[in-house]
Amino acid sequence: MAIAILLPVVAGFLILAVRNYYARGAVVILTSLILIANSIFFAIKGPFTYTPGGFNWGLLITILDYGILIFYLYIGFSLRNWLVLIFATTQIIPLAYFEFVMKAHIEVTPAFVVDHLALVMTLIISIIGSLICIFAIRYMRDHEHHLHLEKSKQSRFLFWLVLFLGAMNGLVFANNLVWLYFFWEVTTLCCYQLIAHDRTELAIKNAARALWMNATGGTAFICAIIYLYSTQGGAVALSMQNIIGGALQGSLILLPVALLCYTGCTKAAQMPFQTWLLGAMVAPTPVSALLHSSTMVKAGVYLVLRLAPAFAGTYLSTTIAMVGAFTFFGASALAISQTTGKRVLAYSTIANLGLIIACAGINTPLAIAAAILLIIFHAISKGLLFLCAGTIEHQIWSREIEDMEGLAVKAPLTTLITAIGILSMFLPPFGMLVGKWIAIEAAYVVPLAAVFFVLASTLTIVFWTKWLGRLLQVLPKLGWPIEKLSLSYSIPLWSLLIGIFVVGIGIGPIYQNFLVAATNNVVSGNQIFALGMNNLVLTSTSFIHKEILGIFPVWPLYLILIVALLMPLLLIGLKPTELRAVYMCGEQAGGGAPDTDEWFAEADKVTKFKLGGYYFQDTLGEKRIYPWANAIAILLLIIMIGCGVIVI
Amino acid sequence: MMIKQFLLVFVALVGAPIVGGLLFGIDRRITARLQGRYGPPIVQPFYDFFKLLGKEHIAVSKMQFVWIYGYLVFMITSLIFLVLKSDFLLLVFLLGFAAVSLVLGGFSTKSPYAHFGANRELLQILAYEPVLLLVAIGIYAQNGSFLISEIFKQDKPLLFTLWPLFLAVLYVLTIKMRKSPFDIATSHHGHQEIVKGVTTEYSGPYFALFHLAEWYEIILLLGIISLFWANPLWVGILIALAAFILELLIDNITARMTAGWMVRLSWSVGLILGIANIAYIYFTKGVS
Repeated sequence: MAIAILLPVVAGFLILAVRNYYARGAVVILTSLILIANSIFFAIKGPFTYTPGGFNWGLLITILDYGILIFYLYIGFSLRNWLVLIFATTQIIPLAYFEFVMKAHIEVTPAFVVDHLALVMTLIISIIGSLICIFAIRYMRDHEHHLHLEKSKQSRFLFWLVLFLGAMNGLVFANNLVWLYFFWEVTTLCCYQLIAHDRTELAIKNAARALWMNATGGTAFICAIIYLYSTQGGAVALSMQNIIGGALQGSLILLPVALLCYTGCTKAAQMPFQTWLLGAMVAPTPVSALLHSSTMVKAGVYLVLRLAPAFAGTYLSTTIAMVGAFTFFGASALAISQTTGKRVLAYSTIANLGLIIACAGINTPLAIAAAILLIIFHAISKGLLFLCAGTIEHQIWSREIEDMEGLAVKAPLTTLITAIGILSMFLPPFGMLVGKWIAIEAAYVVPLAAVFFVLASTLTIVFWTKWLGRLLQVLPKLGWPIEKLSLSYSIPLWSLLIGIFVVGIGIGPIYQNFLVAATNNVVSGNQIFALGMNNLVLTSTSFIHKEILGIFPVWPLYLILIVALLMPLLLIGLKPTELRAVYMCGEQAGGGAPDTDEWFAEADKVTKFKLGGYYFQDTLGEKRIYPWANAIAILLLIIMIGCGVIVI
Repeated sequence: MMIKQFLLVFVALVGAPIVGGLLFGIDRRITARLQGRYGPPIVQPFYDFFKLLGKEHIAVSKMQFVWIYGYLVFMITSLIFLVLKSDFLLLVFLLGFAAVSLVLGGFSTKSPYAHFGANRELLQILAYEPVLLLVAIGIYAQNGSFLISEIFKQDKPLLFTLWPLFLAVLYVLTIKMRKSPFDIATSHHGHQEIVKGVTTEYSGPYFALFHLAEWYEIILLLGIISLFWANPLWVGILIALAAFILELLIDNITARMTAGWMVRLSWSVGLILGIANIAYIYFTKGVS
C-alpha cells in the first residue's frame, strides 16, 4: 500500500533533486517498474482492506488539504481569476466549518478498501501511467530542445507526473470520503501544474479554467461530505462501503450521491465541462496521454461507477444515463469538425467517458461490465494514440490533421502504430468495440440512451476514418524508409500496441478472472469478502457470459483481421513497373513520373493539386453546437441534482 | 450440428457470389429494357469478372490492395454471421468494418477522384449506419435478443411490428446498392462527374475483387431484408426479391442527389421512422 501511494511521492522529490538527464530517467524507470510490479502483486493477492496506523495520517491529510486550498487562493489572487478564487473559497469555508464548527470525527475504518474494481484501476494507473512517464523522459527533452529553453524544467514536469500516479492510486483505494476528497484535490492540483507547465499565457489561462471547473466539483464533494455527516450520524456515513452497501438510510443519501456524481462529471469532463479537457491540450503531450488514459478523467468515471449501487433503480440513475449518453453523442459530433489531431482525441475521450457514465446510469450488471471493459480498453488505446500524436508531433512539428497528409511515407512505423490505435477505437474485433457492443446490448433499459449510443457510434466511425484517411494519403511511390524511434518512445508505444492485442484476445480469461468479480463488487454494493468470485449476481457461467462473450468469436475475428489486412500488407509485392500515376483525365504534368501531384490547369499552367478533409465547420463547428449542447447538458445536470432533492 | 454449420457456410461462400452475380446481370438487363436497350446477357457480370482477373496488375499504392482485401474479407465475415444466425448487432459492426475498408482504400492514394468518392462513401456510412443499428435495437425490442436465431424461433414475422424500420431499410438498400438517387460515391452507370468515385484507382484483378465483394454484399443485404419475414423464410426471400426489383425501378426513375441531402434525409425521415418504431414497442410492450 505504501508503495502504491507513497513511493511516487518519494520518487517525485528524488526526481526534483536529480538534475542529470540519465539519472533522472533511471529514477523514473525504476519507479515505474516498482509500481507495475506492485500493482501486479496486488492483483494476484486479491482484495484486502487496510488502515494505516502509527501516525496521525488524518491530521497530515487535513493540513495538506488546507495547503492545497490556500494554494488555489494564491493562484486566484495572482492570476486575478475570480472564478478560481470563488470556488477555492467555496471549498475552504465549508471544510473549515466541517472541521472546526462541527468538530467532525473523520476516523473511518477501514481507511482503504481495495476491491476488484480498485485492482483493475490500479493496474491501469500503474502500468499505463508508468509507460507514459517513460515516454515523457525523452519527449520533454525534445520538447525543451524545440522551444530553446534556457533553464530546464523537466524535473518539475516529471515530479508532477509521477506524483499524479500516487494520488490516483490513493483515490481508487480510499474508503474514507475525506481522504478520497484529499486525493481528489491532489489530482486537480497536479492537473493544474501540468497544464500550466509551459507558462505561456494560453497554458495558464487553460490551467486556471481546469482548476475552477474541477473546484466546482470539489465544492460539491465537500457539500456531500457535510450533508452525509450531519444527516446520517457522523463518521459512519463517511465510509464509501456504507454509502454503497445500503447501510445508510436509503432515500436520504440520494442528494449527496447526486452531488458526488456531479463531481465525477466535472472531472470526467462531461458536457458542459468539456472545455477544460480541451484546454488541457496546450500542455505537452504526455500530460494529455496521462489525463486521458489512466488518470484524472478516469477518476471521474470511477467515482460514478463506484456509486452505481447507491442510485440503482432511481430516476437519478436514468438521468445519469442520459447525461452520459448525451455527452457521448455531442462530443462525437463535435469531433468531426476538429482540425487538430489532439482535439479529435480529446473529444473522443469525452465521448467515451460519456459512454462509460451512461453505462453506470443504465446500471444493470451487463452495463457495469461494459463500463469496466471500456475503462480498460479506452485507457490502452487512448494512451497509445496520445503517445502516437506526441511522436508525430515531434516528427512533423505540427498537430494539425491536414499536415499529417501522407505520413505513411514519412514515418511508416508511426503511421502503422497510429492506424492500429485508431482502428482499435471503433472497429471489431478490438476491445473498445466489444465494450460498445455490450453497452448497446444493455442499453434498451433506457431506450433514449440506446438511440444516442447508435447515433454517436456512427459519428465515431466518421471522424476516425477521416483522420486515418489523411495519414494514408500518399503519392504512388515505392520504398518507404522506416524511421528510427528513440527507445523512450518505442518501448511505451510497442508495449501499448501489444497490450491492445493481448488484452483484446485474452478478453475471455480476463473477463472470467477479473471482470466478473469487479462487476460483482460494483453491483452488489461492494461486499468484497462476502461476495467473491462466485456469487449470485454474476457468475462466470451466468447469462452475460454465455450470451455475450460466448457469441463473440474472439480468436476467429482476430484471425480474420490478420487474413484481411496483415497478410495483404506483408505478402503483396509491388514492382516499380506496376506503379502508375493517379487518374487525372490525362492532364497529368511531371513528364510521366507516377509520383507527381502536378497537372495542367487552365491555360496549361502547371499546378499542384491539393486535397483536404471534410470538417463541416458550418454544421458541426463548436460555435454552432456549443450554445444548445451546453444548454441541454446544464439542464440534464440540474435534473440530475434535482432527482436527489425531490426524493427527500 | 458442427458439420451442418460448416456445410451451410460453404454453400453461402460459394453460392452467394453466383446468385449475387446473376442478380447484377438481371439488374443490367432490366435497366437496359427500362431505357429501351436490349442489354447484355444475364451472365455478363461473370464474363467481366474473369476478364478483369486476366488483366495486367497495376497500382498506385500498396495500401489500396490491403483495404480492398479488408473490404472483401469483412463482407464475407458478415455474411457468415448471417448464415450462422449469430448476433445481429455484431454483424452490423462487421459490415461497418467492410465499409470503412472501402473508404480507406479510396483515401490511401492521392487521387482527387478516389478522394471525393471516399469522402462521399463516408457520408453514406453516416447516412445508413444508424438505421441498421436501430434495426438491431428494434429486433431486440421485439424479441428480447439480438440473436438472429431468435428471429427464426418467432412465429410472428418482424414485419408486422417493425414495418417503419423495414421502410427505413429499403432506403438503406438503395444507398448500399449505389442506386439513384444515392449513387453518390460510385455508380454502375457512366453518368458520374467523379469518374468511378471511390473505386477510380482500382483496376484489373483488384477491381474484380471489388465486384466480388459487391456480390456478397447484395446477398447479405437481401438476407437482412428477408429476416423481416423469417417464418417461413421463402416469404422473406420473395419480399427481398421484390425489394430488389423496386430498387431497380427507383434507380431508373430518379436522378442522383447530393450527399448532404442524403444525410439530411436519412437523419430525419430514417431516424424518425426507427425511433418512433422502437418507442412504440417500448411503450406498448415494455422491457422484455
